[in-house]
Amino acid sequence: MSVSDASDPASQADRLQAELDETRPPHAGPISQLAAALVALAVGVAGAAGSYALGLGELTQPGPGLWPFAISVVIVVLSVTLAVTGRSLEDAERFSRSSLLTAGGLVTLVLLAVLLPLIGFEIPSLLLMFVWLRWLGKESWRSSIVVSVCTVAAFYLLFVVLLQIPLPRLI
Amino acid sequence: MTILVGYLPTPEGEAAVEAGLREGALRGERVIIVNSPRRGAPVDQRRVDDAAGAALLDRARAAGVDAELRRPLHDDDLYETFEALIEETGAGLIVIGLRHRSLVGKFVLGSQAQRILMEAAVPVLTVKA
Amino acid sequence: MDLTPILNGFSVVLEPANLLYCLVGVLIGMLIGVLPGLGPGATIAILLPITYGIEPVSAIIMLAGIFYGAQYGGTITSVLLRLPGEASSVVTVFDGFALAKQGRAGTALGIAAVGSFVGGTVSIVGLSLVAPIVAGFALDFGPPEYAALGILGVLLISSVGNGNKLKAVVAACVGLLLATVGRDTFTGAERFTFGSLNLAEGLDFIPIAMGLFGLSEILYNLEERHNKVASPAKIGNVWPSRKELGEAKGAIGRGSLIGFVLGVLPGGGATLSSLAAYAFEKRRAKQPERFGRGAVEGVAAPETANNAAATSSFIPLLTLGIPANATMALIFGALLIQGIQPGPQLVTQHPDVFWGVINSMYIGNILLLVMSIPMVGVFVKILRVRAAILAPITVLITLLGAYTVRNQVYDVFLVIGFGLLGYLMKKFGFEPGPLLLAFVLGTMIESSARQALLIFGGDPTGFLTRPISGTIFALVALVAVLPLIRTAWRRKAIRKAPAEEKTS
Repeated sequence: MSVSDASDPASQADRLQAELDETRPPHAGPISQLAAALVALAVGVAGAAGSYALGLGELTQPGPGLWPFAISVVIVVLSVTLAVTGRSLEDAERFSRSSLLTAGGLVTLVLLAVLLPLIGFEIPSLLLMFVWLRWLGKESWRSSIVVSVCTVAAFYLLFVVLLQIPLPRLI
Repeated sequence: MTILVGYLPTPEGEAAVEAGLREGALRGERVIIVNSPRRGAPVDQRRVDDAAGAALLDRARAAGVDAELRRPLHDDDLYETFEALIEETGAGLIVIGLRHRSLVGKFVLGSQAQRILMEAAVPVLTVKA
Repeated sequence: MDLTPILNGFSVVLEPANLLYCLVGVLIGMLIGVLPGLGPGATIAILLPITYGIEPVSAIIMLAGIFYGAQYGGTITSVLLRLPGEASSVVTVFDGFALAKQGRAGTALGIAAVGSFVGGTVSIVGLSLVAPIVAGFALDFGPPEYAALGILGVLLISSVGNGNKLKAVVAACVGLLLATVGRDTFTGAERFTFGSLNLAEGLDFIPIAMGLFGLSEILYNLEERHNKVASPAKIGNVWPSRKELGEAKGAIGRGSLIGFVLGVLPGGGATLSSLAAYAFEKRRAKQPERFGRGAVEGVAAPETANNAAATSSFIPLLTLGIPANATMALIFGALLIQGIQPGPQLVTQHPDVFWGVINSMYIGNILLLVMSIPMVGVFVKILRVRAAILAPITVLITLLGAYTVRNQVYDVFLVIGFGLLGYLMKKFGFEPGPLLLAFVLGTMIESSARQALLIFGGDPTGFLTRPISGTIFALVALVAVLPLIRTAWRRKAIRKAPAEEKTS
């Protein structure tokens, strides 16, 4: 059995994939793997407890909790297996400083969702665009302002004027 | 003292290379042609490909100048690229091409050339296309 | 075979309005599909709201357009930038990028378009012939068979993905669990609603898909380092010459067959078939060393096969109601939203829809060929726009799009929540695909399993004693055990290998 034939298309594809992954942050260690397995375990345990409370019923008369209980048990078993065997996996990524960008981006998304029904979509969208361009994308002040204003104007034209979609809006 | 020449595949860039090579031949100094695409997009039409890069170096050789092509990426501020190169190579002159911009154009797009002119710690030679 | 429903289907699809929907679908699909980091799944997810407001047949036609357009968009980046849009066009990179470096990017893109068209068309013809037969066979299926099929589908998707299998199954189970949220249809009990009125109706498919596939992808890409910028490639003449078509002819023919056959199998049909078609061409070539250095067949084979496979993976979806991969799960969800339940009854109960779907694929394929070749140059221009500018625009489209579906901010929050979940899953090596697929199938699996239990009078062995469901469960067991055997085998092989090296 030839495990790594260099000209074999499958391993060629794997190498390309590995090369593309180089633009990503480095692998995370066993602690992250364990943490992920424990979170899955917690989901399973919570699901099992919740569905047990719903009532399992009998096999002849299945209660509302029987099916979710069965799935939760499977999750528990698999995540325990994962916690035991999966610690040496290399498929998790470390959180890096750029993960802060993602966190910041998420905050603007939540802000948009909160403000949308209150003051319409224009100002929150403008804010989101600007924050993403200026701080997440490191664009210059000038191009951040120009691009965000133009985009929101284009959205207004498309959604409100052309398609007449009832978006909550200021104007 | 090395000479840095800012190059883009435009008439201004050609003019800058022309002047930079002449200056290099005159002073008998090494020329670094700097073709710096903006970071972030997968493709930048201002980046010269390998063939065009080789043609540039051929031109330098024909002019009798020892030249090198660098293609570093820049973020918002192109001047930082030049600053880093000056520090690295101890270059003593920057040659760039200028294009005409209207007042509105300057406001909307900004001018990397202006930034270089104002911030550079070494003499800057500008040429018009 | 009665041809009237097929022809009626064509008359529906060929209405000018529907052609326009298809055209718009292809264009938008290509436009977004060409963006690096956004594969067909993400593209369809982000665009789901546009298909929501229009009537079913038009919506499906538009979806078919988006689907084909997005796939071809991924091919464009594979050839020009060495950036495959999804796993099934990874193989295209080898010869496609080599051709592009020789200044023949146009040839590669043209051959890929022609190959996709032929592969897709062959597959559709096969689909038209096979689907009604399979559907007829499946009409005898009862609840136990559906429960078994659903579980097999979920398990297969989880086991063929490229990540860790255990994690994929965990993700799938979480998807099944999420599907139980809301009012239980049998007992009326509220499950996991925490007293919320919104949750009582269950979780909606669109925001989950948009979050898991669309938003999570954008958030994940924020952490990408952009250290490479390419010079613009010279595309050259896109129409392939007669000589090039001659070279590719055999590869396209064989690729169509390989793709059609492998695509029917659940799981990574398109990925597997592109790899298989490429390997097959390379093996039978007189000069295999040409492959990887710009062989036209090296582009034609995988691109034909992946499109043929993508098309034939509609067979299990339309006839059994089992999506064969994550992208199909998205289309399945979109059909459900339109009130269409894909399954064996579809062809007899809604022949207009069934043939509408199939014929819209013909049209989508033709439009792709007609549009893609002249428009490649335009789409390539999008690659010059910085990711920093595209990301917030895509985010806004996603969030505002999610709002417009039901005019509820709750949906926007759901998208954000599932976007975060998808991002974290990717960070920790869990694939969101199995979760979404299991979510889509969850309700069906549960209700059939419970109906089956009622039929069996509470005796779960009934699943195993019925011939068809028994066979399917045997397959389930096989799929579950196979990876274990394989890892054991590989460990043995690795342990053996160093020993052999020493002796040789």
